[in-house]
Amino acid sequence: MQRKTLRRWNNALHRDLGYLFFGMTIIYAISGIVLNHFKSGDFLHPDYGKSFKEFRVTLPPGGVVDKTYALNILSQVGEEEHYKSFVQGSGYVQIFFEKGSVYIDLTNGDAQLEKKTTRYVIKEFNLLHYNNIKKLYTWYSDVYAAAMILLAITGLFILRGKNGIIGRGAWLTAIGIIIPALFLIFYM
Amino acid sequence: MTRNLLFLFGISLFLITACNNASKEAATVKNDTATMTVASFDTSAYNYVDKAVKIEGTVMHTCKHGGKRMFLIDGTDSIRVKITAGPDITKFDEALIGSKVRVFGILKEERIDTKYLNEWEAEIKKPEANHNVGVHSGAKGHEDQGAEDKLAQISALRDELKKSGKDHLSFFSIEATSFTELK
Repeated sequence: MQRKTLRRWNNALHRDLGYLFFGMTIIYAISGIVLNHFKSGDFLHPDYGKSFKEFRVTLPPGGVVDKTYALNILSQVGEEEHYKSFVQGSGYVQIFFEKGSVYIDLTNGDAQLEKKTTRYVIKEFNLLHYNNIKKLYTWYSDVYAAAMILLAITGLFILRGKNGIIGRGAWLTAIGIIIPALFLIFYM
Repeated sequence: MTRNLLFLFGISLFLITACNNASKEAATVKNDTATMTVASFDTSAYNYVDKAVKIEGTVMHTCKHGGKRMFLIDGTDSIRVKITAGPDITKFDEALIGSKVRVFGILKEERIDTKYLNEWEAEIKKPEANHNVGVHSGAKGHEDQGAEDKLAQISALRDELKKSGKDHLSFFSIEATSFTELK
């Protein structure tokens, strides 16, 4: 096959894979940033935003918590209509409502309100990124991974001349390989 | 062009809905299933290893690293039953916390011996500790444990193993095949 024809096929493959996997790339990129920062400890949960508020409550009579007490506590934070359940452990009680909970230290009445906000879309992106779905999606994401390899390789040969892989492209490609290698050398 | 795109979206939505319904229907068939309770789980679990079981409880915790585990309690947190997601379960969403659920699954036994503890200790001492290694207790903050806390946990398990007079400790969990949130 002639060089010119090969390059035409290369560019066509790169273009079409780029179109086909645009959606997957955006999903993995956005979810990747979220999971990266979640793993770095920048936020507490990848799918939910969380906010906390400290306050004080009156302790239950005799230290025994019942549903009436739990509802009374939730009414103080405007969540009594969303009550789910409560659990009493050694020295504490945690009262759950639809989108959060109140944790109470039963030794001193210190309470912490935790509220959750769903990160819609990002939550679904994370589901795909983690491959929680499994089944057929495992194969589809493998196909996507293989397409990424092809996209990377075909991308090297799109341009000819001084900006191509034998010119500026070679330097940038080398830098792109050296940077992760340096991270491995310094941090492992 | 717009009509073609709408057609494609329609087909995708139909497939997603059809697949979801199929998996829910498949999950409703249960035979020869032993009923367990959270309160008696620790004392009765060894009777049901690798058998089909059903259990109900309140979700105390779900694993935030992909939602592969959740822990059930029953009023107090003195006994926590670990539930792991089987192949048909997408995840245990954080929104389940505080909800009562009914879980169907297979009871599994994990044996912890000296070799396991040695490997776990070696893993923790590496710069990047592996989250999946070790015993997940479901206690508040257990996922944010530092290396020192984990080493203390290993030391406690070594003591427990010594006291037991056996060559291993058994930890029981249920690999869920399906679950329902009870309203």
